[in-house]
Amino acid sequence: MIGIVDAYRELDWGYYGPELLTATWETLYLVAGSFLIGGFIGLLLGVTLYTTRSGGVLANRPMWLLTNFVVNLIRPIPFVILVAAIQPLTIQVIGTGIGNQAVIFGMIWASTFAIGRIVEQNLFAIDPGVIEAARAMGAGRFRIILTVILPEALGPLILGFTFVIIALADMSAMAGIIGGGGLGNFAIVEGYQRFRTEVIWLAVVVIIILVQLVQIVGNMLARKVMRR
Amino acid sequence: MTRTVTAEASTDRLIEFSGVSRVYGKGAAAVTAVDDVSFGVDRGEVFGVIGFSGAGKSTLIRMINGLEKPTSGTVTVLGLEVSRLSERRLPKLRARIGMVFQQFNLFTSRNVAGNVAYPLKVAGWSRSERDARVTELLEFVGLSDKAGHYPEQLSGGQKQRVGIARALAAEPDILLADESTSALDPATTTEVLRLLRRANEELGITIVAITHEMEVIRSIADRVAVMDSGRIIETGTAHDLFSDPGDGEGSFVATALKDRPDADDLARIRRHTAGRLVTVSLADAGGVGRVLGSAANHGVSFEIVHGGLSTTKSSSYGLLTLAVEGAADAVEGFVVELRGVGQVREVQA
Repeated sequence: MIGIVDAYRELDWGYYGPELLTATWETLYLVAGSFLIGGFIGLLLGVTLYTTRSGGVLANRPMWLLTNFVVNLIRPIPFVILVAAIQPLTIQVIGTGIGNQAVIFGMIWASTFAIGRIVEQNLFAIDPGVIEAARAMGAGRFRIILTVILPEALGPLILGFTFVIIALADMSAMAGIIGGGGLGNFAIVEGYQRFRTEVIWLAVVVIIILVQLVQIVGNMLARKVMRR
Repeated sequence: MTRTVTAEASTDRLIEFSGVSRVYGKGAAAVTAVDDVSFGVDRGEVFGVIGFSGAGKSTLIRMINGLEKPTSGTVTVLGLEVSRLSERRLPKLRARIGMVFQQFNLFTSRNVAGNVAYPLKVAGWSRSERDARVTELLEFVGLSDKAGHYPEQLSGGQKQRVGIARALAAEPDILLADESTSALDPATTTEVLRLLRRANEELGITIVAITHEMEVIRSIADRVAVMDSGRIIETGTAHDLFSDPGDGEGSFVATALKDRPDADDLARIRRHTAGRLVTVSLADAGGVGRVLGSAANHGVSFEIVHGGLSTTKSSSYGLLTLAVEGAADAVEGFVVELRGVGQVREVQA
């Protein structure tokens, strides 16, 4: 025990402190950037999957087949391979194939399709009766999506999105592969490659704290919405 | 036995089904849910459709507001041919038709007031108009104190009252009740039926109620259609149906009413009583007491072994099974007198 305490007492905080802070901000940037965009597109994708299915409010078989096919095509690709594979596209869109923005671009692709499925699954849990009730009242299809389908599933959706944010923190740890930063890169470059386990653990502790905070906030919001 | 009341063309006919069928699936797997059905409902009427589950009632009622489309035939509601309206034009019609569901189908994300206000938002009412209407409706259904409650905080009966308030909100011409009391206990059923009746009598709303519960038909319906395997096998006033439910094997009304002794009942009755068994259907329960009272004058004695008297929305009716004992001539004289007040059938035991 004394050894561990000593290790951190002797650590060059003048160097690692600011490095750790920067890495934390970078992780937040990677996660927030990809979540905002991927979350929105994923939501649209999930709603499309749910509503275009036969019996859905926008039932449209070709549209459903296409969406479902694309989701199944992209989703199984492991993230590390995906970021490498789409690099030519990344260069076209972002202007560079490396760095944090290139990482966000890759994370958007990976998260969009995962979120699509998560949203679809949560929408499945809605009682079809309430949708029928809204139709019987003369509500239009887009009104039903916005004022019935999404509000009825809001609690589970919040929990689903919380799960995705945490999965994005996990993905962001691989940012170093294409020259991105963040806590994962910090742990590998500053810790692992220099045989400094205590530095790895600094990153681990910060990630645990971040994930805990996200989960607590997500649970709180979901509980509030579901009134439990 | 199949009876039909010929539909007189009426200027105030709100709903007209004409040769309507609905087939699900294709080829060998095709299922005919509704089979060549024709009937009409006039303004201000309570029209009941009764039948076993799976008889096609759900599909039938959903064709009125276009939630289901007929495979053939035409459905005309409020002067519009529903079966031809596009999904784009249906909402306008639907806004004039309220619907109440077996499982209530309240929005769990909205409180009671929010549920009742929803159709008003759809219909484009202003905020202040909505608030006033919601207050009025919650008063009508007796839930003024529950405006801020969420569905999960309500009992089944309260949920259905919210469902009714919501269905009545946008001042519809027609109310569709889809097994509206089937998920409720008997006491709550009475409460909800009373409310539907008030909606019909006080607001003048036309109601189409589908149900498998005789009680619903008995207490609110003016006219009734009996459905079996997708077909309407009988139509008539509630009174006709109850006072003379037909005796076909498996007749829904006879089975559901249980007003005539079945084989088991007869065996039990036979063990205790002798004499001639007759069933009297009374279209009006009024005169029967006098006739029964005359038994002593005929020199016969009788015992009521099955059945009873009851009321529909507008009249009384009864079906009594009697065991009459005495000299054959005397019994015959008594039975002749019974024929004066109702229809008499012999019961073979």
